Amino acid sequence: MEIGFIKKLINVIVSNDNEQITGISDDELIRRYTQLGDESSFEEIVNRYSDRIYGFALRITRNTNDAEEVFQEVFLTLTKKLHTFRGDSKFSSWLYRVTVNTSYMYLRSQKKHENNISLENYSPYDEKGTLMGRIRYKDWSSRPDIVIFNKESVLIIEKAINELPESYRTVFHLRDIEGLSNEEVANILEISIPAVKSRLHRARLFLRDKLSDYFYEWRR
Amino acid sequence: MFMCKDVVENIMGYIDCELDLQTLKELEKHTGDCPECMTFVNTYKRMLEITGKLKDKPFVTPEIRNRLRVLLKSKVKPV
Repeated sequence: MEIGFIKKLINVIVSNDNEQITGISDDELIRRYTQLGDESSFEEIVNRYSDRIYGFALRITRNTNDAEEVFQEVFLTLTKKLHTFRGDSKFSSWLYRVTVNTSYMYLRSQKKHENNISLENYSPYDEKGTLMGRIRYKDWSSRPDIVIFNKESVLIIEKAINELPESYRTVFHLRDIEGLSNEEVANILEISIPAVKSRLHRARLFLRDKLSDYFYEWRR
Repeated sequence: MFMCKDVVENIMGYIDCELDLQTLKELEKHTGDCPECMTFVNTYKRMLEITGKLKDKPFVTPEIRNRLRVLLKSKVKPV
C-alpha cells in the first residue's frame, strides 16, 4: 500500500474525533501531529495558544507588526521543532520560552534591542522610609468598579506596562497577566526566583503609581 | 520599629500570604495606624484587580489568523 494513502487514512480516522479535539491534552495533540501527521491537531494547538503567543510577543516588542512577525515565526518553528518537546516542563512554558527566544532574535535582527533600565531603586517612600504626604491624597481605591474597569483605565494600564523596562515587562506579563507561578516564570526567562520576585515587586510599584497619577488627574 | 518602607517592601508577601506571623502582625498594626499605608495597600490590591482583567483580552484577529494559515500552507510541506 502507498505510504501517502496510509497517512491519509490515518488523517481520516483521526479527523472523526475532531468534534472532541478541544478536550484533548496538549501532549496528545503533539503526539498526533508529530507521529501521525494530523494537521487538525496542529490547528488546535494554534487555536489554543495564538492569543497567548501574540500577546506575549506584543508585550516584548511593543509593536503589532513585529509581534505578528514573531507570532508567525513561532508557529513555523513549531512545525519543525515540535518533535523536540520532551515533556520535561508544561508545553505552555516551553512555548513561552520559544516565543521569548524568537522575539529576542527578531529584535536583534532588526537592531531594535532595548536598553534595559534598572528599577531596583524605584520606591514610593522617601529617604526616611515613610509615605507621609505621598499616597493618601491620590486615593482611588474606593472608586466604583464602573470607573475603575472602564476602557480608558485599561488603556492606561496597558500604556504603563509598556513603559516598564523589558526585563520587568516580561516578568509582569507572565506572572500577573498570564498567571504563571514564580517558578514557571523563572524557568521560562532563565532567571532565579528571587529575580522574578524582585522585578515583579518593582513593576507593581511602578504601575500602582501610574494608575494613581491617572485617577488623580482624571478627578481634577 | 515597623515603618512605611517595611509595608511597601513586604506587600508581595502580604498579598501572597507568605509573611511570618510576627511580620504580618506588625504590618497590620502599622497599616491600621497609618492612613498612607492603608491607602497604599488598598490601591495596590485594586491595581492587581485591573491587571488581572487583561488576561482574557483577545489579540489575534481573523486577519492575523488567516495570514498565519496562508504562511504555514506555503512553507510547510504537506504530510
